[in-house]
This record gives sequence, structure tokens and C-alpha cells, in this order.
Amino acid sequence: MLHPSHFPACRGKQNRVPSSPFRDIDPGHSKLKSRGGPADESQTPDFETKAFETTLQGGIVIKIAKSVLTLMVLLLSGTAFAQTDPGVQSGSRGTGAVLSSVNSNSALLAFFTDGQNRFQAVESVSGNAAGNNGLGPRFNSNSCSSCHAQPAFGGSGAANNPQAQFVNDGVAPGNTTPSFITATGPTREARFPFFFNSNGSVNTSEPNGGVEDLFTVTGRSDAGTCTNSTALPQPSFSSAIAENNIIYRIPTPVFGAGLIENLDDSTLLDNQLVNLNNNFGISGTFNHNGNDGTISRFGWKAQNKSLHVFAGEAYNVEMGISNLLFPQERPLPGEDQLTTGLPASCLNLGGAGYPEDTSNPAATPNAAVLDDVSAFANFMRLLAPPPTGGVVLNGSSVNSSAIAAGKALFSSIGCATCHNPSPGTTQASGFTSGLSKVSVPAYSDIEIHNMGTTLTDNVAQGSAGGGQFRTAPLWGLGQRIFLLHDGRTTNLITAIQDHASKGSEATTVEEQFFDLNSTQQQEILDFLRSL
Amino acid sequence: MRFRFLWLSVVLGCYVAFVLPLASAQETNPQNVLKNGGDFSDNAQPGSKVPEGVILVKGAWSSASDAVTPVPEDGKVTNNMFTDQYFGMSYTLPRDWEQKYEGPPPSDTGRYVLAQLRPADTFKGPARGNILITAQDMFFTPLPARNALDLINYSKNNLQADYKVEMPPTRTTLAGRPFAFLAYWSPVAQLHWYISATEIRCHTVELVLTSRDTKLLESLLLDMDKMKLPAETDPTTGSGGGDVPVCLKDYASGDNVIARVAPVFTEHRFNSVPVRIIIDKEGKVKHIHFLSAFPDQAKAITEALGQWRFKRYLRDGKPAEVETGIMFGRTPYTRTAAGQERAAQ
Repeated sequence: MLHPSHFPACRGKQNRVPSSPFRDIDPGHSKLKSRGGPADESQTPDFETKAFETTLQGGIVIKIAKSVLTLMVLLLSGTAFAQTDPGVQSGSRGTGAVLSSVNSNSALLAFFTDGQNRFQAVESVSGNAAGNNGLGPRFNSNSCSSCHAQPAFGGSGAANNPQAQFVNDGVAPGNTTPSFITATGPTREARFPFFFNSNGSVNTSEPNGGVEDLFTVTGRSDAGTCTNSTALPQPSFSSAIAENNIIYRIPTPVFGAGLIENLDDSTLLDNQLVNLNNNFGISGTFNHNGNDGTISRFGWKAQNKSLHVFAGEAYNVEMGISNLLFPQERPLPGEDQLTTGLPASCLNLGGAGYPEDTSNPAATPNAAVLDDVSAFANFMRLLAPPPTGGVVLNGSSVNSSAIAAGKALFSSIGCATCHNPSPGTTQASGFTSGLSKVSVPAYSDIEIHNMGTTLTDNVAQGSAGGGQFRTAPLWGLGQRIFLLHDGRTTNLITAIQDHASKGSEATTVEEQFFDLNSTQQQEILDFLRSL
Repeated sequence: MRFRFLWLSVVLGCYVAFVLPLASAQETNPQNVLKNGGDFSDNAQPGSKVPEGVILVKGAWSSASDAVTPVPEDGKVTNNMFTDQYFGMSYTLPRDWEQKYEGPPPSDTGRYVLAQLRPADTFKGPARGNILITAQDMFFTPLPARNALDLINYSKNNLQADYKVEMPPTRTTLAGRPFAFLAYWSPVAQLHWYISATEIRCHTVELVLTSRDTKLLESLLLDMDKMKLPAETDPTTGSGGGDVPVCLKDYASGDNVIARVAPVFTEHRFNSVPVRIIIDKEGKVKHIHFLSAFPDQAKAITEALGQWRFKRYLRDGKPAEVETGIMFGRTPYTRTAAGQERAAQ
């Protein structure tokens, strides 16, 4: 039997902190700790120890000297060495390209190109010569690419939010721009976690959670009989804000989405078993599709099974366009709950009946026969994963060895337990070899995890509860502007910080990040912006 | 007369101009129905604010049939002391350590985070660290391990390439009780992990210490030597008894079950629902603990288990309470041959 005195550290085997393999490239050794604790053992403590010893000897003057010294050290550390998010990497990395295997298949490439074009099509309510009709009567935007724009079509929200212009540029002239939509803020959808009571108060016993579309078609010249903004009002955003009954979501990027779609469930389950062998307190689960019970995987809570469902739902919910998967116009959750529905004057505005998006049997070429939703799904499915790239920090290129070190640290401190560099290899693909038997460098396990009270949005989707979220795939992170599910920050450090809170599986890992010295933290940040 | 007519005209005009349209609008404006309720509120009742930072909409969550019987997740830190009544553990935190955030709810694979401790802002030392106290319900673990020693061995054999073993699994003593111990470290992060594991009530309880400073880890280990643990504590045989029920895996199977009623679920879900039960000396279910279940699932299972009857369990010839586990819902995934091949690759 061993006693603690027999443990390795007590035997003198590791009686000191082992020397860092990065000491040679770590001249700064910032001691500024985000958590107030000392970071490294070589610089700051020297100042503090001397000052403390002097204080022990006595007088007020010397105590002040200690304070000044400490302050100086903190200020110097803060200005010279503190870790910094390198920010959005501006150079072109080739993100948004088609899978290379599709280039040699002209028929499939035509489907991709057709989908890409439809992804950018601007929808009208009625009278559109190109046939892009059916927008609304409620909507968040009028084209896929307006939200999925950064750094290329298929991405997340752009630096300039088009929603902020909709009231003035004729897209939603009869509306008021909600206060949380700003010109340079995140492109957003809004949800009310709970329904309002008939007396105007929030009923926390009645979960809502559905999308509250920001705009209506009233006031548009192509809105036909749907002219009465009193009959079709915007949801009560200002009341919801006042009552803290609103949450936001930003668009999820879809680069490489075909690879995620083509992961077999057993691969994800095997990966889950590997993940369970961790000492960070992490233990995720999966969201499931209600129809066949298989693992669902798209959306912030992994609530959507496939890219087809993802596209069909977005077309219906975000743009108000009924389709083959969601054939009815969608009222707001409350209009549905109270069975008031949408006003009759705002139905079938396109005049062609339902669904507004359907297949086109007589069209040519082949790709044109597809309905929009299928075309969108093809586009997303055949998008290549976002390439990695170099990182520029404060105007200088980051050394590739620092990025490699950051990658190793990212794994060692436990980030990769959830943000798996690859959750596995795809199954054989019926579409193209680029989706077949290849590794998926998504930096996600596709599991849902409890993320604690700081991130909770009190919206349940499928089997994901209000505090659970899918591990956000980090591929493409280097060129993403707005972070976390609601786009609350543009700073990676804040995003990491928000992983820790009551009830979060990521608290220990977050603390280990901030326990690293500043150089190591910087290396992880550099690595993340290389993705 | 003329003045009176003029006055009447003004009154009538005002009525037509202002009052009638209002009344008409009230009759026809559908917003009088929609204005408050659902997605609409004129904020007539300020003060009904949704509280910040509270998870009100829970998914599958833990719950129990009564609030008196201790459950593993009740571990808490109060007055600088960690206590977990279920496991019979208590531990005085080192000076300048705290629990800032409580851990997540139990997982559907039977994993608990009992406490996550960290240095407070007042902490002085060359490097910080973490103390994570976890438990793995050995009835429900999908990993190939029967007890704490197995789990430690599995952990060592499946360490990521980033980590190097400092001390392979070995038996040791902590707080006067037998433990299994494993030490490994990450050369790149300079982080050391000291894992001490033992078995209590058929759970592997792990004390996970992490820091760059091995002296800190040493002192934490020495500190943990003062921890209070139940007599059953052992890395291979911690199976209850004494003041708590005997825990037996798979007791709710075969001939042990005299009467069984399947739960009637109202909704088709796809999650696993691990349930721990305590069977009284008469063979009835005395206590139900749902590690992870939706409320409708918990209700249906509670109704069903109330009708189950078990053979009385005899210990030394006398009836004794038994604690066991039953998995409802989706059967947990175990690695297939293909999966093993994939993992090997």
C-alpha cells in the first residue's frame, strides 16, 4: 500500500514545475492572470516577494512602495504581454469553394452552381419575374446569402447587417427596426423563451422558444392585400426586452456541412465513448430526430437531422416561404398557440397556391427541375470545409510553430474533448468521392452539452434543454466575426470565458485555459484564428 | 336657436370624427385579441421579468421520488467544506480555495460532477490548480469497467497521445481508505493530473487534482488525507452495506423480479433513462432516483415501478435493502466490432 508520501511528486521525481519546452520562444512570460493568480514563476513574484519582505520590516512608506511596484508590474504586463484575440483574419483562404471532387463531375457541379445561385436569390412577395415569390408574410430576411455571408456565401453573419436597412430600403417599409438590430451588429433571429399572459406578464410556466420573425410584408408594394400592420403586427420586442424574455441566434456557417451530414451515427457514438474518458467533468449526449430516432446534427442545438430539413425549415421560418418539407405558411408561435393564425388577407400572396416553393417538372436544365430547398441542400452539401490559414496579429504574421503549439495546448487542457479535431470518418457517399470515407475536421463532437447559466437560452429543441448546445464546429473560426449562439461577442477571450458558469460542463477546461501563462493563452488564440 | 344648432353640430361632428372611429376600431381590430398573450404584450404587468442566469427550461434532468433520501448530486460546498451525504464524504477545503460554480446535472451515462474547486482570488502560490470531485455510476457506465480500479486502468490505457504517464495505476491509501492512483502529465501544457479513485455504493468516486505545480498537488493530496469517507470505501469492493443499502448490479432482472409492469410513455423519445432504485426489505421500491429523464418519463416510470415486486434480499440470513439500477428508454451504445476497428485506426 502506498501513502500519499509515495506519490510521484513526493518522491522528489517531480518536485518542481518541469521546464517549459516553450521557454526559448517565450521571452515575455506575461504574469497578468485573468483570474488574479500568478501565472509563471520567473518574474512577477520576484517583485512581489521583495516588496512583501520589505513590508514585513515595517513602515507605511514601504507599503506604498509595494503597491506602486505591483501596480507598475500589472500595468506593464497588461500593456505589453496580455493575450489578444488576433481577430477576424481578412485574407482570402478560399472559403466557399466547392469540394474538389465535384469539379470533375459537370452534372453535379451544375447542381452546386444552381444551388449557389438560388442561395443568393432575393425573394419577393409576389410578381417576381424570375419566380422568386412567396416571401413572408413574416420573415427575418429575404435571401439565404444575406445572413450566410461571412466570409463567403454559406458562412455566418457579415460585418454589416442587412436587416438594419430593411425598413428604409423597401424590404420591410411598414415596420420598426427592433432595437437589437444594428448596422454593424450581428445578423439575428429572435425567440421568446416564454409566452406572454393575457395580462401582458411573462408566463414562465408556458415555454415558447419559437422564432419571432422580425419583419412583416406590410407596406411593401408587392404585398397585395396584406397591407394592415395592425392586423399583422410585429411581435412585442420592446416588452420582451424589458421583461428579459428574448434570446437571439445568429446564422450557423454551413461550409463542409456535407461531411457532417455523412457521418454515420455509430461513428459519432464511438467518438462519444472516446470522449467519455476524460478528467474534465465533461459528458455529452446527442439530440435525436423525432421521426426515426437517429442523431440530428444541424443548428445551434443539433435540432435538424439533415441539410434538407435545415434548408426547408429556414426557408419557412426565416423567409416565410412554404415548401415541400414545410407546406404551410408559418404564423408566430403565439398566433399558432392562440389559434388566431395569420390574417386571411396575408395568405397566398404569391397567388400560386401552396407550397410556394415546389419542384419544376417542365424546367430545363436538370438542376432547374429541383425545388429551391433541394437546391439549397445541394449547395451546402457540396461546399468544401473551410481551409485553415495563416494568422496576423497586430500587423505581424504569427509563427507557424506558435500555432502548432496552440493546437497542442488546445488538446491538452481539454478543449478538444468536445471540440474534437475530427469526430470521425464519413461513410461511403452516393454524391461524390469528396464526401466519402474522409475525415471531418470540424472541431466538434456533434454532441449537445450543458453549457451553464451564462449561455443558457431557456429554449428547448428536440431533446436539448434550455442550457444545452451542440458543440459549435470551430472550422472556419478564423474568419468568423460574431461568436457564440447569439453573437454576443466578437472577442474569442470573452467567448472562452462564457464557457464557465453554474451548471456548465466546460468550467474546468475554461479555468485551465486561464491558468496557462499569457504566451500559452496567446498560442491557443492564434491557433483558433488559424482555423 | 342658431347657436344651439351650431353647438349640436360641433358635438355631433366631434362624435363622428373621434368617437365612432375608436369604437369601430375596437370592434374590428384583431389586436384587441392579440395585444396581450402569446407573442404580444403591452407590458401591463412590469415586474414579471424572467430571472437572469436560471435554467428554467430543462431537458432531461435529475429528479427523485422524495426529497429526503440523499442522492449523489446533492454534494455541496458550504462553510468551506464539501459534503456529500449520499457518499458519506466530507472534506474541508484548503485555505483560499472555493467552489465558484456548481457542476452540470448528472449525465445519461451516469457521470456526476460533485464539486469543482479552484483557488480563490486571495490564493498565493506559483501556479494555480483545480480539484474536481466526480462520480461514475458503475451500473450505467458504457466504458468496459466493473469498478474503480478497472476505470483507472481504462483511463491509463486510453490516454490521448498528448499525455505521458507519470505513475501507472497503483493501489494506495488516502484518508485511511484504499484507493487506486494514476498520475500523468501534459509536457506541452506542463500540467499534471493526479487521479485518486475509489468505489463507494457502486460508484467510482474520483478526486482529480490538476496543476502545473507538483508541490501544490502534493499538499492537496496531503490535505485530502483528512477527508472523511465511509468504511466501505475500496477501489474494487465498495458495494454499500452498513448504514446504506447493499448495491447490486442487475438485481432488477431474472428471478429477482416477481412482478414487473412496463411504463407507458406518453411521448416517443430517444434518450436513455438511467434509474437508481432502493428496494426495501419487503421487496417494494422505496426510492427512485432519475439520473436523467424528462418529467413525463419520470412520471410514467414512477407509476410502473410502484407496481414492481422483488424477491427479498437476504444478507447473513436477514432481509436487507438493495440499491440497483435499471436503464429505461434507449439502450446505451456499446462499441461494435466495426467501432473497435475504427477506434484502433
